[in-house]
Amino acid sequence: MEAIMKELAKQAKARPVLLQKAKEEGKKVIEYTGNFIPEEYIRAAGAEPFLMCRGGDPEAPDAVLEYMLRFMNPLARSMAGYWLMGMDVVTPITDLIVMQQTDNHVGRISELLEFKGLPVFKVGVPPDWDKQLAVDYYKDQLKKFVAKMEEVTGNKIDEDEVRKNFAKTNAINERLRKISELRKKNNPPIGFSEFIKLNHYSFAVDNDVMIGKLDELYDELKDAPGKFMEDCPRILLVGHAVAIGDYVVPKILEDAGAAIVADFLDEGIRTYNDDVALEGNLIDNFVDAKYVNKVPIDIFQPAWEQRFEYIKKLIEENRIDGVVWYQLAFDEIYDMECSCVAKWLKEMDMPMLKLESSYEYSRESMGPLTTRLESFVEALKGGKKNA
Amino acid sequence: MPRDVNRELLELAEFHGEELEKIYPQWKYTADRMGLSDEDIAFAVDHYIPDNWEVQYKGIRMMIGAYLRETIDVVATPKMKEDGVKIVYGILPAIATNYTAIKHAGGDKVFVGFPDLLLVNVMNSFFHEAAPYFYRAEAEGFTYGCRHCPLNKMRFAAFSSGLIAAPDIIWSWGFNCDEGPKTDEMIKCLIGQDWNYVVSRIPHDTEFGIIDDEIEDRVKYLADMMKLGAQQVSDAIGIKVTDEAMAAAVKANNKYSFKIGQLVNMCCNADPAPLGGDALTMMQQPITLPFNTGFKYMEEALDVLIKEMRAAIKEGRGIVPKGAPKVGFYNVPFCIPWVGKMFRDNGVIISFSHVLTASKKQLSPSKYEDSWMQAAEMWLRMSIGQNLGSELEGIIEKIEMNHPDAMIMGFFDFDRWLGSHHKMLAKLLEDRMGIPSYYIEADFWDDRDYSPEALRTRIESVCQILKMKKGIVE
Repeated sequence: MEAIMKELAKQAKARPVLLQKAKEEGKKVIEYTGNFIPEEYIRAAGAEPFLMCRGGDPEAPDAVLEYMLRFMNPLARSMAGYWLMGMDVVTPITDLIVMQQTDNHVGRISELLEFKGLPVFKVGVPPDWDKQLAVDYYKDQLKKFVAKMEEVTGNKIDEDEVRKNFAKTNAINERLRKISELRKKNNPPIGFSEFIKLNHYSFAVDNDVMIGKLDELYDELKDAPGKFMEDCPRILLVGHAVAIGDYVVPKILEDAGAAIVADFLDEGIRTYNDDVALEGNLIDNFVDAKYVNKVPIDIFQPAWEQRFEYIKKLIEENRIDGVVWYQLAFDEIYDMECSCVAKWLKEMDMPMLKLESSYEYSRESMGPLTTRLESFVEALKGGKKNA
Repeated sequence: MPRDVNRELLELAEFHGEELEKIYPQWKYTADRMGLSDEDIAFAVDHYIPDNWEVQYKGIRMMIGAYLRETIDVVATPKMKEDGVKIVYGILPAIATNYTAIKHAGGDKVFVGFPDLLLVNVMNSFFHEAAPYFYRAEAEGFTYGCRHCPLNKMRFAAFSSGLIAAPDIIWSWGFNCDEGPKTDEMIKCLIGQDWNYVVSRIPHDTEFGIIDDEIEDRVKYLADMMKLGAQQVSDAIGIKVTDEAMAAAVKANNKYSFKIGQLVNMCCNADPAPLGGDALTMMQQPITLPFNTGFKYMEEALDVLIKEMRAAIKEGRGIVPKGAPKVGFYNVPFCIPWVGKMFRDNGVIISFSHVLTASKKQLSPSKYEDSWMQAAEMWLRMSIGQNLGSELEGIIEKIEMNHPDAMIMGFFDFDRWLGSHHKMLAKLLEDRMGIPSYYIEADFWDDRDYSPEALRTRIESVCQILKMKKGIVE
């Protein structure tokens, strides 16, 4: 596994350089955010997509404070922060930043990018998703997005090309599902630290290469021995996002002897359970798969009762011993949902740890953070032993 | 003989004679339910109200009375519900006419109000006593550290404590706000499934400088969302909002808006200023906050106040010296009235609130005939319904109209939409107009974290600079 991960890491790291070359060759570079922008259309338009979802450094969120309220979540702030710090090599060459408008954090950060003169295109995603009006609105927004792609690239988008791209992302999803299933084993051969990185690499590495590497990895892992201690606590990680680069918390948990065997995140991860049907109208299919039929993201309304049903399903299917609620600092809607989830989990006697991250992983912060995570894992181990 | 502070309060609020005797027990009951002790009321009567509000004007005292009447109604909602009155709530920000139309249609069979706003407003503006509700909400799930909106905390705690009834329906407009509508989901999940709600939302997806109300698709979508929400409200309470009811609501709102526009314009352009922006904003509130008691009492107060202002201006009377610098606010923090006083004590007058002052476009006729399209267009013409670039143009227009010496941004640190872009606005205003614009991090509704001690230095410095700029030497 190590060799494959290393190879993928190398390729993902090279992506910005490839984008610069592509740009020099006359290709357009399109950045986008979140899971509600179909990158398949960007590719089909002949442009190079790049997901904006970097995080895990405290400096980037702080860099926006000259312009922005400090009580915004650090992931949204990082979207502008790295660029303001001069630590983002893609945004300066981007031809367009397509930003899904799901909440106010990303909404105002989009405006900061506009304020600074960057080219931003917004795709509205109505949170009241159970209304036909909202569904139609989102479809219209995607149609405008497609038109914008054609305008920026000067290329007419070929529907068959989009279909091919969806087929490839479906193929990636399928392989990620298979690998994820391996995490259900008593002692999984792969941890979350690797699994989330696979997701992140899949946004940056060529799709065909990624499919091949995922196949290789699955073949290697399917009969491999577990990588954790026998009978280690099994954890479900729930939250907004584990951003590209924000790997500290999963690593501490796994180093402490727990296995994160299931995840429920709204961003920074592929929606690998939700394939897009390839027959018929692809925008309709995308909206059905990612908006209408998918478990709603936290900001959608109504959402929390349905989301908790899904959490219960994950707990049952993955034989979970404890839940880690991984929250981004000042992410107010997740904070509210957390109060509900905490109550419901308590009623189930399921241990939960709420963890808030401002991407502050300084030496001073790491001690208390590690102690909290280790204590939680130790308590879970104790619980398993007693059981 | 011991003091009867409740009676003193009501007298201060211009209740007299039979009316006083009638309202006294209702107010006593209300004060008890809200947890206001005699000491709290004595503090309000002796210090908090006279220190912070210009109670030398009868119009201001009558305004306080109108707010107290409304509070009595809000606290009576559990009893009303028992008696079969339908309870309809809403949240800020919204267009009040969409709610007052329900009242016009339902009359005494329906209660209509925004209980969280009203309660925070009354409890903090006049008694400085909203904090126990915030603490309660925090203890029950609205965590302190995440900086949630105090209005949402109040809604949560007011229901959790039994102060207000579960609504037959709350229609939460989330055209700005994420947390407001989600609070209803939270209340339902954590406190009671009988908290029945409907939300109406629109994403913030227009690019910088695009004029929201000129995109017909957007107006149409918003109109359809409003119509759908209104239909769900009607279905829940069994009261149909007729065209006549809507027309009556619009007419009443327009009448009040016209008068309040006169008052604001008169006071903001007078020198010396006879009234501060906090009082003006309190008077402006019925435009966005539906009163179950209707416009009647606020309008009576407004009529009296307009006459008093005319007289004061004619006589050259003001609450600050002639020539005192004026500051406009993004929105004047009237629920933290000591802020205005602190400016006045430092020789600076707070004048207008940007978000509650109508732009020329807001006052111009709609291009639509359909009432829902008109309402949607009205929302998108409001600064809070617009993207940063469009909002900027509106502020510039209002600055040119009201001539402040500086703008104060901030006081919305809990709001990820209305409060997050102020630093950018301040920079843009300075660039475009050369007007000094200051950002003060604080909370509009809740001063637990931003005490007078914490803000004094900042406010004094701003005032000092403004006076120096105007050549005022003390």
